[in-house]
Amino acid sequence: MDWQQLLALTPVLLVASISVMLMLVIAFVRDHLLTCVITCLGLGGAAICSLVSVGEMAQQVTPLLIIDDFSRLFGALVLLICLISAWMTYPYLQATDEIREEYYILLALAALGALVLIASNHFASMFIGLELVSVSLFAMVGYLAHSRDQVKLTLEAGVKYMVLSGVSSSFLLFGVALVYAYSGSLTMDVFSQPANAVLAPQYLILGTAMIAIGIAFKMSWVPFHMWTPDVYQGAPAPVTGFLAGGVKIAVFALLMRWLMPIQGPYLGILANGLMAMAALSMLLGNLLALRQDNLKRLLAYSSIAHMGYAAITLIAAINIGNLSPTLAAEAAGMYLLTYATVTLLAFTVLSHLAAQDLTYETGQLQHYQGLLWRQPIAALGLLIAMLALAGMPLTAGFIGKYYVFMAAVDQQLWLLLWLLIIGSAMGLYYYLRVILILCKDTQQAATNSYRGLNPLIILLALLTLWLGIYPSPSIAWVQLALAGF
Amino acid sequence: MQLLWLIPALPLLGFIILVFTKGQLPREQARLVGVGSVALAAAITLLVASDFYAQSDAQSSFTLVLWEWMSAGDFRAGFNLYLDGLSLSMLFVITGVGTLIHWYASGYMWDDPDYSRFFAYMNLFVAAMLMLVLADNLVLLFLGWEGVGVCSFLLIGFWYQDPVNGYAARKAFIVTRAGDTAFAIGLFLLFKELGSLHIQELLQLAPAQFTVGANTPTLIAALLLGGAVGKSAQLPLQTWLPDAMAGPTPVSALIHAATMVTAGVYLIARCHNIFLQAPDILLLVALIGLVTLLMAGFSALNQNDIKRVLAYSTMSQIGYMFFALGVGAWSESIFHLFTHALFKALLFMTAGSIILALHHEQDIRAMGGLRKQLPVPFWCFLIGTACLVALPPTSGFVSKEAILNASWQLPVYGPWLWAGGVFGACLTALYSFRLIFMVFGGASTCQPDEPKGWQFHPPLLILAVLSLLGGLLVLPAAGVLPTSPAGHAPLWAEVIAIGLPLAGIALAYQIYGRGQWQHLRQAPRLSHWFEHGWGFDSLYQRLLVQPLLTLANINKSDLIDQLPIQLTLVSSRLFAIFSRMQNGQLRIYVASMTAAAIFIIALTVTL
Repeated sequence: MDWQQLLALTPVLLVASISVMLMLVIAFVRDHLLTCVITCLGLGGAAICSLVSVGEMAQQVTPLLIIDDFSRLFGALVLLICLISAWMTYPYLQATDEIREEYYILLALAALGALVLIASNHFASMFIGLELVSVSLFAMVGYLAHSRDQVKLTLEAGVKYMVLSGVSSSFLLFGVALVYAYSGSLTMDVFSQPANAVLAPQYLILGTAMIAIGIAFKMSWVPFHMWTPDVYQGAPAPVTGFLAGGVKIAVFALLMRWLMPIQGPYLGILANGLMAMAALSMLLGNLLALRQDNLKRLLAYSSIAHMGYAAITLIAAINIGNLSPTLAAEAAGMYLLTYATVTLLAFTVLSHLAAQDLTYETGQLQHYQGLLWRQPIAALGLLIAMLALAGMPLTAGFIGKYYVFMAAVDQQLWLLLWLLIIGSAMGLYYYLRVILILCKDTQQAATNSYRGLNPLIILLALLTLWLGIYPSPSIAWVQLALAGF
Repeated sequence: MQLLWLIPALPLLGFIILVFTKGQLPREQARLVGVGSVALAAAITLLVASDFYAQSDAQSSFTLVLWEWMSAGDFRAGFNLYLDGLSLSMLFVITGVGTLIHWYASGYMWDDPDYSRFFAYMNLFVAAMLMLVLADNLVLLFLGWEGVGVCSFLLIGFWYQDPVNGYAARKAFIVTRAGDTAFAIGLFLLFKELGSLHIQELLQLAPAQFTVGANTPTLIAALLLGGAVGKSAQLPLQTWLPDAMAGPTPVSALIHAATMVTAGVYLIARCHNIFLQAPDILLLVALIGLVTLLMAGFSALNQNDIKRVLAYSTMSQIGYMFFALGVGAWSESIFHLFTHALFKALLFMTAGSIILALHHEQDIRAMGGLRKQLPVPFWCFLIGTACLVALPPTSGFVSKEAILNASWQLPVYGPWLWAGGVFGACLTALYSFRLIFMVFGGASTCQPDEPKGWQFHPPLLILAVLSLLGGLLVLPAAGVLPTSPAGHAPLWAEVIAIGLPLAGIALAYQIYGRGQWQHLRQAPRLSHWFEHGWGFDSLYQRLLVQPLLTLANINKSDLIDQLPIQLTLVSSRLFAIFSRMQNGQLRIYVASMTAAAIFIIALTVTL
């Protein structure tokens, strides 16, 4: 490893050093604000490091990691997501009776895992990244285990996530072993290698399928989605936000790197499998969200549906089966970007509200009645997030959905397109229901003076609108990321 | 010239100010904004006009390119203003008469709680109407066209608390919508055939690409005529105008007499080259005008509401304009539009003063003897009526005689059309002076309480002077439009054309002034029929509304609705089923995951 490579790894190293530093700091001073600021500064610094080096040569650092523009830009995106996640955690944890500082160590570790995941083109680094994220998340989901109010839900969610994640990882690991048995290599581009193996090619496709199962769990694609609502509901709101808006992005970026350039004789099977999962996700996600009464559960089902939409871009890319940054890849990039923004907005509002009153998080939707008149900024943020999730024009959600639509039309995936349309129609029902409840006036309550996360809500809401009204810069950004593919 | 954009922009700005202050503005300031914006637009119109006259001969034109509005493929529509003699003439009418009416309305509406809303709508209307006449392409024209339609709807239903007014507003909107649909289809067809909607290009292209009398230009002209007929309340879409009198009187003066209803005339004049390629349709225009003017005359004779009399007379006068267009008297038609705007605005505003004086009494049978009590309105009304009846030397005489004279020149049908027009003039005299005698003549029966002040008399007097002298003005429109047939009617014809209206006045005096020949008033069946606009309302009610309602009733539980209904049912069922699977038990989750995984593995291995 020479200097060049070490330099390319700076963001990864910086994020790794945050967790070490935090541990040292906590050993001497326990100060919530300090830890949070250190985390944010570190994550922001790493993101800047990543962005500054955009446009430089792609570096293969050891066989495990590749640092190209895709890694840099998506890495920066995930780091920014983690930063926002740390920001929204602060007031939330401040309101609990739990020890707060260690949370940020876990968050930094998860960020590290996500970075590794995005930069990996080797199954070993992929597994390390995935497990780094997952193990941090077990603890993050169950973080409030000593808190009086939330102990039951949060512990249950943590344990569930751990057990199910373990099951899925075992599938993934076995798949990696099969691929290795077939090709003798753990690099991800096995498909493009000439097969000089003794084993039948079924081993390769079986291995791929099992890896896909493991990843489908993380993406909560149906039928591997069962954990999603329970974990989303049980986890503290900022953690759920990170789970939905951060982890999914990183894993999907990995999928893009792994599957989009894929070539070989088994593409049909892979595409069909993905298609089935995408179709089921769109249908079941939307159906199950229809009459949900808890906002976090509703968002969980909605995220299942949205991951189904995102899968369409992947299928379109596999159908093309070439290396150039196609419309499908661009659609995937745009979808991730817009979905992350919108999801973070929704969960920021949720964290903001939950920091004041836990019933917003655990209780029924009825609790939001007339919120628009009590807390206009938070309610408007949630309203914009709902509109964006429904894919209304002039919001980020529309641009993402439009791209998916284009990719599906381009590859003539008519079945998926129809399901996308039906799913969006069903989506309107439950998103608009939330908006209706927000606007419904019941009592003339006094306006609330709690400031909390208002700046972040305004920032993300404006970003959501900006992405929807003037998407060209973000499109250029995605194209830049894909150019180095 | 560069200030041209300010003319529509100022009233629009007034509208925006009035809307965004949400009626919180004090009356004085709302008045300042509402009247001031239109008055400023009028001042700028004068500036622009002086420029226009200074630099140009009659044929010239000026285009102000603002910005590209939309472009898709070959289709382009700019947000560009176009000024030539025709649009300048319309600008005079809209801003000039518009200012006087706004001025008057600022007094008339003073006691209304929604003062500011009224001026917001009025300003929006003026802006839309100015857009309509200044548009350099038909798409922009259509924007103004629909804009004035919306404002007309809003202002007819201004006193929406009374459901009758709301009904009248909806009726006006829906009936004109029928015409607008035809207009829009005509635009699509024009674009398909000629590949452009830029008016000046169309006027060049139409004679080059169409053969005269062929099917395509005839169809296009017919569709455009449909739009014009709806907006200008001509047969067969005339039924909305009498009901539109439900709006405040200044609205009737501005929208339903002086400006919006003449938009159809403007449209046909603007697209003259298209209509010239369809002589059949041009003849149809003349016939529609003639029949409308006669029918409206008979109806006016039997109305008892002062505003409805004026509404039917407006319909009849626009009939004259259509008639003029049809016989090829293009510039005469626009001239009549101009003079009509002056004297009909005068008549409506005077009627408004009378109505205010009598505490919102509109029935002429309850009036009488007002000549002494309301001298200023009386003289103004008399001047307006003299113009309407076309007594020499008023402006109405100049414009109407020119139309009748031109109709005489038309080969074959000419004299017949002329005869119809002259008979219409006689009818006009009859119903107009019926109104005069019934309102101002006879014994006084009521105690009027005349509104006075700088908002009431000055605009009336200015308009009265203009109506008298308007015939001396020369409009710049002539250079833009095709030349009218030259020559004069024979002397005996001219004598009849002047004499018959006088006979009509004499007859009116005999019947309504002196109360003789009462049997002429006693034709109950016929007069009832006339009073209700020749039964068109009940005809349309039976022919269109009832069948539609019946159909709607039959299809109450819409067959197509079943699809979404079933979809929601199925969705909620599925929701119930699937949520039961989501029971929170870890073992079920693991089992289902494993089962799915095994299924996938089995598939991949066997395939």
